[in-house]
Amino acid sequence: MSPSTPSAGIGLRAQHHATVVHANPEVAWFEVHSENYFADGGAPIESLEKIRGRYPLSLHGVGLSLGSTDPLNLEHLTSLQRLASRIEPAIISEHLAWSSVGGRFANDLLPLPYTEEAVQHVSARINHVQDVLGRELLIENVSSYLEFTDSTLKEWEFVAAVAEESGCGILLDLNNVFVSACNHGFCWREYLAAIPPARVREFHLAGHQCIERAGARLLIDTHDRPVSDAVWDIYRAALRRFGDVPTLIEWDADLPAFAVLQAEARTADGHRNTVHADAA
Amino acid sequence: MATEIPFMPTLREIQTAVLDALLRGTLEDAGPHIATTPVPAAWRLSIYRGNIVENFLRALASTYPVVRQLVGTDYFRQIAEDFHAQSPSRSGDLKASGRAFADYLGELHRDDRFSYLADIARLEWLIQESSLSADHPPLDLARLAVVDPSTYEALGFTLHPTLRLFASPFPALSIWQANMADAEPSVVIDLAAGADRVAILHHRGEFDFLRLNPGELAFLRSLGTGECFGAALTHAQAADEGFDASAVLRRLVSAAAIVDCSVPNR
Repeated sequence: MSPSTPSAGIGLRAQHHATVVHANPEVAWFEVHSENYFADGGAPIESLEKIRGRYPLSLHGVGLSLGSTDPLNLEHLTSLQRLASRIEPAIISEHLAWSSVGGRFANDLLPLPYTEEAVQHVSARINHVQDVLGRELLIENVSSYLEFTDSTLKEWEFVAAVAEESGCGILLDLNNVFVSACNHGFCWREYLAAIPPARVREFHLAGHQCIERAGARLLIDTHDRPVSDAVWDIYRAALRRFGDVPTLIEWDADLPAFAVLQAEARTADGHRNTVHADAA
Repeated sequence: MATEIPFMPTLREIQTAVLDALLRGTLEDAGPHIATTPVPAAWRLSIYRGNIVENFLRALASTYPVVRQLVGTDYFRQIAEDFHAQSPSRSGDLKASGRAFADYLGELHRDDRFSYLADIARLEWLIQESSLSADHPPLDLARLAVVDPSTYEALGFTLHPTLRLFASPFPALSIWQANMADAEPSVVIDLAAGADRVAILHHRGEFDFLRLNPGELAFLRSLGTGECFGAALTHAQAADEGFDASAVLRRLVSAAAIVDCSVPNR
């Protein structure tokens, strides 16, 4: 990503490949899920090779299971490395999460217990990945629906400690901050204030849903609707604290027409311009 | 008063307890690790459990659309959930999660009227593998023309990277083709119509299904394991006395099933 053009990008899903390949829509950059392109050939990777010539790309992994106590999956890492050599992305990111243990995979992003042991463990793994890729990895804070009684650190302390220990960058998902803040009763302002600005390289924005049961409620990170007003508020606060880093609109379920995603990206750019103007 | 030393479980112990609970759908040993207020631990876990099962089912349905079409969405969901309970994903890439599904269906419907389902699943798995493999230009026949005839026996042939060989005692390919989304709705397949032997190939987004006789199948299987032309010919002739090597080679090269040849170093 060129530092001079951090307009909001769009998470690209397979249903929109044809639109992007044939219509060249106006979008600053795209991010794709790395694992969807772990293949030597076929339609997805062939489309991506066409798209990479026209737009900056970011590879966003969901399956490396960075926080797992199993040995690092070198086959998965090799696939990522091969994809990165082929696509030459501007950014490579993964999640600060685990999804497997004992060789069995949940294929979902599970939160870690926020302990010193987990800081050391996941930092060493991130270092390993950065060494193999020969570049910086960004790690994304996940949304979570549970907290561990074993945690000794706050989530924001954990994220900052891992970035400090491993030297990685941070992909700050502001919807995830809001979802977790509501689910676990913390203040998102306290979270943002603890994240070191020098490490933040990218923002994610997405929609969530609220579900209620027997008087209790949980926010679910559904990626199936527009960004909520509350998350736009956090976005403006984040732009003021962390500066104008690349922003991505994510939408995965009930995927709308491509133009709806472009409109979300333009809304993000509107907030960027407002915050910029205020700061000037 | 004695000070109680708090029990500090390791990260691995916590992960094992939580994943056990998520895959089994019961709280079990994960209970003490999960905060319960204001939302009960069981509800928190059920959110993840739901995601895990749905992601797995979606991946399986994407790999096996015709199995799903044949058995109906309700029964597919039931067998997919049972399969997941027995064979959870072993990879961070969900495309790989259905690898053992054909074997599972084979056990489930070993001797009943759905015994052909396992072969449909096997075919769909190979189709997915083929579709994700690299394309390759066809063999330049000039390369064959310069080969010294005395070295023919030892010649090696490279198969197209997307080539997958499939054989079934059922007309599995015909069933698969009749159940694709764009198929003619009225086609009726006779399960007793006989065996299907096929080379699956994928070029520029399109599948080629090259129907094979027993000699051609044996020939390609042998080449696929890295055996030389002489050995492959022996296998082919054992399967089909009338095997016509030069006609078969022409057919396989023109279909881009064979894409390269190499003379061994002496």
